[in-house]
Amino acid sequence: MADNETLDAKIEALTAEELARGLDIFRQKLGAAGALWLQTCVHCGLCAESCHYFLTDHEPQSIPAHKLEQVASAFRGRYTLVGRLAPALTGARPFDRDLVRAWVDAAFGRCSTCGRCSLNCTTGVNVPAVMRAARATLTEMGLIPADLQQVVTTALETGNNMAITREDWLDTVQWIEEETQGAVNDPAARIPVDKHGANILFTVNPREPKFFPLGMQASATVFYAAGEDWTVASEGWDLTNYGLFSGNNAEGGAIARNLLDSMDRLGCRTLVIGECGHGFASARWEAAEWLRERPGFRIISFLELMEDYFRQGRLKVDPSRLTDRVTLHDPCNTVRQGGISEPQRSILRRCVTDFVEMTPNRAENFCCGGGGGQLAMAQYRDRRLQAGGVKAEQIRATGARVVVAPCHNCIDQLMELNREYKLGVVIKTVAEIVADALVLPTITPPAGEDHDVTS
Amino acid sequence: MGDAGLRLGVAICAVLAAVALLLQVVRTRSFGTRPPMAEAQGSALRGILYAFGPGMAPSAKESTRTHPVVYALGVGYHLGIFTAFGVLVWSMRDAAAGSALPPAPVRQVALVLTALGMIGGISLLVRRARGPLLRAISIPDDYLANLLTTAFIALAGLRLLAGSLERALLVGAMLLLLYIPLGKIRHCLFFFPARWNLGRHYGRRGTFPLRH
Ligand code: SF4
Ligand code: SF4
Repeated sequence: MADNETLDAKIEALTAEELARGLDIFRQKLGAAGALWLQTCVHCGLCAESCHYFLTDHEPQSIPAHKLEQVASAFRGRYTLVGRLAPALTGARPFDRDLVRAWVDAAFGRCSTCGRCSLNCTTGVNVPAVMRAARATLTEMGLIPADLQQVVTTALETGNNMAITREDWLDTVQWIEEETQGAVNDPAARIPVDKHGANILFTVNPREPKFFPLGMQASATVFYAAGEDWTVASEGWDLTNYGLFSGNNAEGGAIARNLLDSMDRLGCRTLVIGECGHGFASARWEAAEWLRERPGFRIISFLELMEDYFRQGRLKVDPSRLTDRVTLHDPCNTVRQGGISEPQRSILRRCVTDFVEMTPNRAENFCCGGGGGQLAMAQYRDRRLQAGGVKAEQIRATGARVVVAPCHNCIDQLMELNREYKLGVVIKTVAEIVADALVLPTITPPAGEDHDVTS
Repeated sequence: MGDAGLRLGVAICAVLAAVALLLQVVRTRSFGTRPPMAEAQGSALRGILYAFGPGMAPSAKESTRTHPVVYALGVGYHLGIFTAFGVLVWSMRDAAAGSALPPAPVRQVALVLTALGMIGGISLLVRRARGPLLRAISIPDDYLANLLTTAFIALAGLRLLAGSLERALLVGAMLLLLYIPLGKIRHCLFFFPARWNLGRHYGRRGTFPLRH
């Protein structure tokens, strides 16, 4: 594959100085906790079956400890005395072209940084943190798959990762607003843009305006039903941040800054991250670390907000409208890495009649295979679909007709899995489920206007 | 070298091992520490307590739920190691202070534990050597660390059984202690800060304690 060949050519061309510098970079990226984790693995192998890659290909290279070992062997070779004195005993290796290739394969090609192995680790090694440090190193060495870096670059250059122009964005918002008005039978329903001082600044994944406007319409319908004071921004509205996947904190921070600037510009009270796992983890957890500053406002997930609406009695739903069996996918970055596991369940139990959990679920969920930027890296497509086989079987075992996934990246992968594994399911966001179940207030049109009034 | 000399040798090796281990852990700080900036959602303390408490239970992790035998072997192995160090400490007491062996009931319990330790150590070594997947993630240190540790447990067991072999135990202990900071056995100390950091990470995010 072209990207593969380019990467390989770059690795071949690495000079001894560049290789030495690579480990210097790694040292900066690793941090004290990473250095501890790298030296704590006891090679017990108990993490093997927690990884969806290993479960589907049974290759030793897919065992989390094997991936970790690629990185640890270089670490030992440079940073431990015994590694330097007795490399054969400790498995220390020079950071040469072969090992660089192994790093690329392990960190980009066989790890979605989902963190499932860490929860199952005997000693407590945070594998994705180490893998991200390896990715960061490779990225700084120019050895990131080009298509993954392109997503980051596009976001930096255009303000969103799909290069949607301001004009197209505003046109789409207006169109979705009109669709929402039709759906709720209220011409007063709005998607406010740049409303200063609004309670909520709502952010979206560019896949919504580009490919899934119904998702945005569902969110707008929920805000309408809850009577929320909300807005979207004309600029700085994209919640995605592939800096999380490239490992480049400076670029991740610059992308996150777009959202923080929108909040500052509009003076909103709460930044709400739409249904997107990595977007939530980036904005809620990582942005403060990348920028070394704590935002002066709340950052919450749309899932938490919708649950609040229910708690406050602001949404009324009729669960009998969806009687199909519904199951829930737990995006790794929302649940395991993001800490949000219950709101989506509480919402679904109110909105559908037959909700079943996957096994395992919550923080123990399996990655769908699309995380960690895998969807952006074409060269690993086959592996991604194979690794997604674990999720496909989880879904099949529930017997569900509808799979709810509060993450647009996961939805992309699940749609491919749906085709690949012939699951015959419908995939929706949580907001879509809520919007479908909403019992909206009856609107009485002003005299002289002829509207179809329903409840 | 007389017995007193060997005991002194063990004590020196123990101090060397402890200092080397501590230095290695402290040295990790040179890789950079930064206090977390994002506002916590859960509690770092609760995460740490979970990581060292309920999170260690075999039921807490899928990996141990699905591998109860390996888990049991690991527990047995570690019980044997701790017991062997207990026997060593007992043997290190000044012989003039009394018997260099614990009283009979304690000795019997210790014997059982060292037997469990040996079963664990040998089984895990065989598992590593025979399993192609485990072999693929193993380095020579994995085998040597196991051999040294299992031999140390065996020497402690034999000492309990035969009442002699004190010198062999002391020599075995010196070798093991000297090796501890050099290879994977360093996890005897690294485990604590590593797990602390994992607990803090997932505790702050509200993921730990896990909800099942
Ligand atoms: S973080 Fe996820 S994908 Fe990566 S090695 Fe661990 S389980 Fe596998
Ligand atoms: S479970 Fe943890 S300690 Fe064991 S091999 Fe995997 S990463 Fe290493």
